[in-house]
Amino acid sequence: MSTTSKDLNAISRRDFLKASGLSAGGLIIGVSLPVSLLGASQGADFQPNAFVYIAENGDTTIWCGRCEMGQGISTALPAAVADELEADWTRVRVLQGDANKKFGPQATGGSNSINQMLDPMRKAGAAGKEMLVAAAAQSWKLPVDKCYAKLHVVYNHVDDRSLAYGDLVGLASKIPEPEEPVLKTRDQFRYIGKPVQRHDQGDMVVGARVYGADTKVPGLKYAAISHVPVLGGTVKSFDKEVALAMPGVVDVVLIPRFEKPYGSVGGVAVVADNTWTAQQALAKLKIEFEAGENGSYNTTEYKQQLVKNVEAPAKKEFEKGSLDQAFGEAAVRHKGTYVGGHLSHSPMEPMASLAWVQDDKCEIWASTQDPAGIQGTIGAYLERKPEDITVHVMASGGAFGRKFMCDYVQEAAACSKAVGAPVQLTWSREEDTQTGYYHSCSAQHIEASVNAEGKVTGWLHRAAFPAIGSTFNPAVVQPTAGDLEAVSKHPYGIENMRVESGMAKAHTRIGWYRAVYAIFYGFAINVFTDELAHAAGVDTVQFLRNIYDNNMDAEQQEQAQRCLGVLDKVAEMSGWGKKMPANHGLGIAVHHSFHSYVAMAVHVEVNGDDVTIHRVDCAVDCGLVLNPDIATAQMEGAVIMGTGLALNTEISFENGAVVNSNFHDYPVLLNSGAPAEINVAFINQETKPTGLGEPGVPTLAPALVNAIFAASGKRYRSLPIQPA
Amino acid sequence: MSYTITINGQVHKTDVDGNMPLLWFLRDTLELTGTKYGCGIGLCGSCTVHVDGRAMRSCLMTVKASAGKKVTTIEGLSENGRHPLQIAWLSNNVPQCGYCQPGQIMTAAELLAKNPDPSTEEITTALEGNICRCGTYKRINMAVADAAKQMKGA
Repeated sequence: MSTTSKDLNAISRRDFLKASGLSAGGLIIGVSLPVSLLGASQGADFQPNAFVYIAENGDTTIWCGRCEMGQGISTALPAAVADELEADWTRVRVLQGDANKKFGPQATGGSNSINQMLDPMRKAGAAGKEMLVAAAAQSWKLPVDKCYAKLHVVYNHVDDRSLAYGDLVGLASKIPEPEEPVLKTRDQFRYIGKPVQRHDQGDMVVGARVYGADTKVPGLKYAAISHVPVLGGTVKSFDKEVALAMPGVVDVVLIPRFEKPYGSVGGVAVVADNTWTAQQALAKLKIEFEAGENGSYNTTEYKQQLVKNVEAPAKKEFEKGSLDQAFGEAAVRHKGTYVGGHLSHSPMEPMASLAWVQDDKCEIWASTQDPAGIQGTIGAYLERKPEDITVHVMASGGAFGRKFMCDYVQEAAACSKAVGAPVQLTWSREEDTQTGYYHSCSAQHIEASVNAEGKVTGWLHRAAFPAIGSTFNPAVVQPTAGDLEAVSKHPYGIENMRVESGMAKAHTRIGWYRAVYAIFYGFAINVFTDELAHAAGVDTVQFLRNIYDNNMDAEQQEQAQRCLGVLDKVAEMSGWGKKMPANHGLGIAVHHSFHSYVAMAVHVEVNGDDVTIHRVDCAVDCGLVLNPDIATAQMEGAVIMGTGLALNTEISFENGAVVNSNFHDYPVLLNSGAPAEINVAFINQETKPTGLGEPGVPTLAPALVNAIFAASGKRYRSLPIQPA
Repeated sequence: MSYTITINGQVHKTDVDGNMPLLWFLRDTLELTGTKYGCGIGLCGSCTVHVDGRAMRSCLMTVKASAGKKVTTIEGLSENGRHPLQIAWLSNNVPQCGYCQPGQIMTAAELLAKNPDPSTEEITTALEGNICRCGTYKRINMAVADAAKQMKGA
């Protein structure tokens, strides 16, 4: 590092501390990120990120660069830092980092936070501890290896002197940061693997947690918006004067479509003294829209077309072995077609953001999963450099993939720019439901063969769904080979296989919904496997064991073994094979996604159309679990979300526009729908930790559908099974 | 026209439009943002407050209708956040994103005030109108039962 960049670094650190209201007298430690995590643009000016700060009184601040949306990452990662730092967690305050390269990649999705950030964060803590220990050794004139840290204090093995962390910060600041600090061994962990209390829950239960929708600044105005209902449509006319005549209305702002992947679809916003006035004025605008090219999108017909597209030969994207031979020599052959609808994320906090666009600066406060995405999008919109857009990352009231996209932030910026004041834009629930980046609707057709020895020998899999790539590139009109990898690389490792992509041009914006494509892949593959086991006359768990045992693919041995691990565990937990009362059934599903492995067993009772889930057992292999209670909560949440999407929720389009509007016609799961019992077990914790935000979602629906079949003989192949 | 509402023990006099929902008066005028907007039509319970001791959806209750009444929001439920429900919410690690939890707690507080010993079914029924997308229902119900136990013992 050159002298100049060192100076810059020092200045930046002072500014950083000042902005955070901290004194420059304490000890501050950066995290060095592996080169693989640094983007090309982050070369020369890259600075250590994710600071740890210890004040002279010992109070410790740890910044979390990843976004918090309820998954607990802002506890799990800082607790790992505190562990390596030998900090007393009760002395630690966690702050959410603003958008800043020094925190490393902040985009929070793909269940990737722990995967990417755990090691660098642990190293930051360990480096800090080594500096504090070295400082104590220096002051005592003792060798470093005679000194050790424990809970915010450094001790030595020679005499009974001790020094508190706060007393050491001055000296420790002068000690160079060790490049390769020694990490703890697992037996030394104090917080990792323990149920450390989340840092943010205390504020939540008294209403003090500040979400994106809650941000206030002096002179704040409030906005409400109506969007163009059909993607690609336009605003034809509206009665601006009637709104402007209302007391409290500041302005009516026409927002044209901003053709960036995360830009607004276009609409009309009203800015007023409060949200209610803005909503009232908006209702009086009598907006007329032009539908445009997607005006005939109708999901009932579209899904029928997807089914046709997968029940006929489609575009071959992957092939191995000889499917014809396998099918020709089959003792049992079976086929099935599986369908799923669009889903809306519907977080309890609808899209909301505060923007303040000024000539010389732009400041954003938003619930978000992707602060850099906001900088890029708002920078493009205002024709400014991304780094000139200040983004304060607020707590998200749920996100589930939706808050990766920042159309609502760009709209708030458009309002602020128009009225020259800070503007808080809160979408209504109706706008949230109808202006999404939806989970793909889908159709899949599977055909497979089983030979005389009961081995699955061939697998034909066709999938058609509007792909997320279409949001970024309209030329994408069907799943790509990459989109199909979850099938072509599926850990069943079937020797003869063909994977085909069916046409599915998108007519709405498609986005990442918690677990993404794994939802429909996990559903189709697990339900089909259950059907195939029945066709072959073999118990489903035994049938699955045989598949994994028969997997000879050298690259899939670890995957197959870990799938087997969760399968065996959940079979044991659920008492698989036990006698069930009449109308009761057990169903099972296994899925590997986002580097983790989940098996679920659902115990259901079916009386006519009435489906009651009595119990869900979950066996999870995500390697080392950082915080067992938060991890368990993630699985419980996945079970609830999985149940809702399996039973009831689907977004439908007619004439290009979303039909659903609020929770009455998008009936997410309510309290009474929650399974009476959810059990979660984590296995194989010796392995490297992987993420858990998403992998729990895909297994619930297929395990439920398989359980319903076991209980009633009725086989569902489409989700949701009881559409509203 | 001016309205007088007592909120968390403090008397507020206001001349906002009487048709404004209490929710937006709390959030935008008083900047008491613990009460959340979730659906605007009384389906999700995120905006639940107590009006003269009854759990009400503040998105459906106007300022006019609240005049002369005593309103309690999550901020005023207890001194220092020590209501047995708030304690139980923490000991059960209920919240994930936490956005719906003020509404859940306010609904549960009314339940326990009326029915100190609710059955599992009564808890579920009382909270049926409070949506949580993170899926914390199981823990919510455990926390309500814990708080009930705690309050009986106290």
